Amino acid sequence: MRSTEALGPDVCLLRPIEETGRGFYITAGILLLGVLWGVLAYGSQLSRGLGVTGLNQPVSWGFYVTNFVFFIGISHAGTLISAILRMAQAEWRRPITRMAEVITVLVLFIGAGNILLDLGRPDRALNVLSYGRYQSPLLWDATSISAYLTASLLYLYLPLIPDIAILRDHSTRHHFLYATLALGWAGTERQIRVLNRAIAVMAVLVIPVAISVHTVVSFVFSMTLQPGWHSTIFGPYFVVGAIFSGIAALIIFMVIFRRAYRLENYLKPIHFQYLGFLLLTMSFLWFYFTFAEYITAYYGSVPEEMKVFWAKFTGDYALFFWSMAICNFAVPMTLLGIPRFRTITGILIASISVCVGMWLERFIIIVPTLSHPRLPLEPGSYLPSPVEWGLMVGCFSLFGLLYMFFSKIFPIISIWEIREGREVSLREVEDRVRSYLPGEQGEDIAAEGVPR
Amino acid sequence: MKERAQTPGGVRAAQLAILVLIWIFILGIISWIVGLLRLSLQLGDIPSASIGISLVAIPVFLLLLGVANYVFWGLRSAGSGEATSAPAEAERRHER
Amino acid sequence: MARWGMVIDLDRCTACGACVIACKAENNIPFVGPEESARGHTINWMDLIPGEEHEEGSSAMPRPCLHCDDPPCTKVCPVYATYSTPEGIVAQIFARCIGCRFCMAACPYTVKSFNWFDYRQDGLLGAARNPDVSTRPAGVVEKCTFCHHRLQRARERARAEKRPFRAEEYLPACAETCPSEAIFFGDLADPNSRVARLRRSPRARALLPELGTKPKVVYLAREERHEID
Repeated sequence: MRSTEALGPDVCLLRPIEETGRGFYITAGILLLGVLWGVLAYGSQLSRGLGVTGLNQPVSWGFYVTNFVFFIGISHAGTLISAILRMAQAEWRRPITRMAEVITVLVLFIGAGNILLDLGRPDRALNVLSYGRYQSPLLWDATSISAYLTASLLYLYLPLIPDIAILRDHSTRHHFLYATLALGWAGTERQIRVLNRAIAVMAVLVIPVAISVHTVVSFVFSMTLQPGWHSTIFGPYFVVGAIFSGIAALIIFMVIFRRAYRLENYLKPIHFQYLGFLLLTMSFLWFYFTFAEYITAYYGSVPEEMKVFWAKFTGDYALFFWSMAICNFAVPMTLLGIPRFRTITGILIASISVCVGMWLERFIIIVPTLSHPRLPLEPGSYLPSPVEWGLMVGCFSLFGLLYMFFSKIFPIISIWEIREGREVSLREVEDRVRSYLPGEQGEDIAAEGVPR
Repeated sequence: MKERAQTPGGVRAAQLAILVLIWIFILGIISWIVGLLRLSLQLGDIPSASIGISLVAIPVFLLLLGVANYVFWGLRSAGSGEATSAPAEAERRHER
Repeated sequence: MARWGMVIDLDRCTACGACVIACKAENNIPFVGPEESARGHTINWMDLIPGEEHEEGSSAMPRPCLHCDDPPCTKVCPVYATYSTPEGIVAQIFARCIGCRFCMAACPYTVKSFNWFDYRQDGLLGAARNPDVSTRPAGVVEKCTFCHHRLQRARERARAEKRPFRAEEYLPACAETCPSEAIFFGDLADPNSRVARLRRSPRARALLPELGTKPKVVYLAREERHEID
């Protein structure tokens, strides 16, 4: 049993695992109640049928599909931060990667779960395995989400191994679990090489897989002929929206964990600033795509499209549409664009606003189109029932609960990456920057060593 | 200098069990994809869609299986060599 | 190989709704009740949908499943529960449907209905069930099948009587019932059949032809009065 002094200052990252305060139990209790509501709601749906929801003909998709798209969208948090920033060698990612990767894994389970919640016959869900048709976008979803789930689980686990080894050596609880999952990690040079190589491969692999996931989710809508859905922009639009909402969700949880586990030394204002800049960029990008989508519809003035268009702009869904615009663009632009407001609190408010706005965006995409079918029928309407609210609350509660449990078993900030940053990267970055600068006193530039 | 971690038999068995589960899971997904491909060929139901998706998805899953195995066996064998700490090694490398 | 199609003459249709009731009786379509109907849960395989308003009053048109030759619904079904038979009928396998409702979202004509609850009734209405048609549990999608069970019956009868099957023996309930004889049904592959000839009429028009779904139910209407959007 090694002494904790070898860990240095990072030993405080093990504290949430060692000690559990009252706040944890209270929060867990509340979330458990939310999950219970969800379970009861689903029970009533299972026993009686989907008629307990507010769904009808023509609006046969509602909250469940909205939540499906929303949760799968949030999964892009992990990929962006972990994989892309790792490939860009952005050192500021180090305290954030673990949180982001956990969000991805959890949110994929819950997102895919929402599709199961939406099925009229969940007892026949295995028919997708026996009789699946690859012409159907739902099968593309099933395949790519399976791939992404596997990849992101692996991508979460690999950098976790050295941290698990620390827990194996320093912690008194869960010893068997840690010893098993640590895979005999001893920090040897060869092991580090193996792990770094594997992580590098995964970082490259997980990005196209992630992009494919949200693209095929968008294809569920864009491959139909319905007005407002049959648009070529949907693939990139959904990916941008996913990254957008993913960053916002990540920021929210960073703030929560920073406060709950007193991680102010690790999650510093600079991390929030950089993520805030990314969020602002994505807000502009989201606005650009949204603008392009609606101006094209408006300019073309195809009658069925305009029915949906006006329903969103001035009709039944105007409140949701304009709230979405304010939450996704006006609020982030103000709070993140003006330096005075770009504090951690301001960034948090902007992130909450974006999460709400992006949920509304999914809703706005799905329901108005369904309620204005092409045939000259009366427009439909949709009012979610307590069952749907219950399942939504249950999903969010389950997500929070699982996230909290994770943080009680594994360090929520990657100790290994922090130490690597402190002990190795400082020198690497210095060497890298030196290699960018011109050589001194007429040295042959080709002879300049490339940094390791 | 860190000591080499103990790996009692139960832990090694659990680790192997996890690897076996990963193999079963990924091979299961691949056999599912192949099954759907065969079904679509048998029914003549847009086989091009199944072929296209199989060509992309199966290599991805095989790659994931490969990475998992690489890490599992790589860490196992590399751990039986000299055990030093990463920062100490990096220090030595840099000084050379 | 036969190709089954339908022609509905809107100039003869009086919007009496007999086709809707006949379809319900023939296919064991449950009456969901007024509360459920108000919630938008009505199940109508043959539906009478509003046409355009004009001086003589508003018109209505009977709209069964249009049994498209290029159906958007069969493309998106994940489990092969809705598919096109070789004779062109877009069929529904109730026993396999997982209730994802993707086909409902994809159909541009909104012809599909869903069993939001278990609407099957016992008692008097249960006794009136047609034994040839299965009843549907909660959670599955259903739609007009061109009374496919009648085709099977007619073929079996012809086989039992050791004679060739004639296309005229197969008539869906709506076509059989219509008091104005506004619904024609037959084999489009036979160029001399009435439906094939009526399809070539100058009054013939399809619903939403620009979508390329190639519906096999075609409407006859004089240009000025029955402008279908």
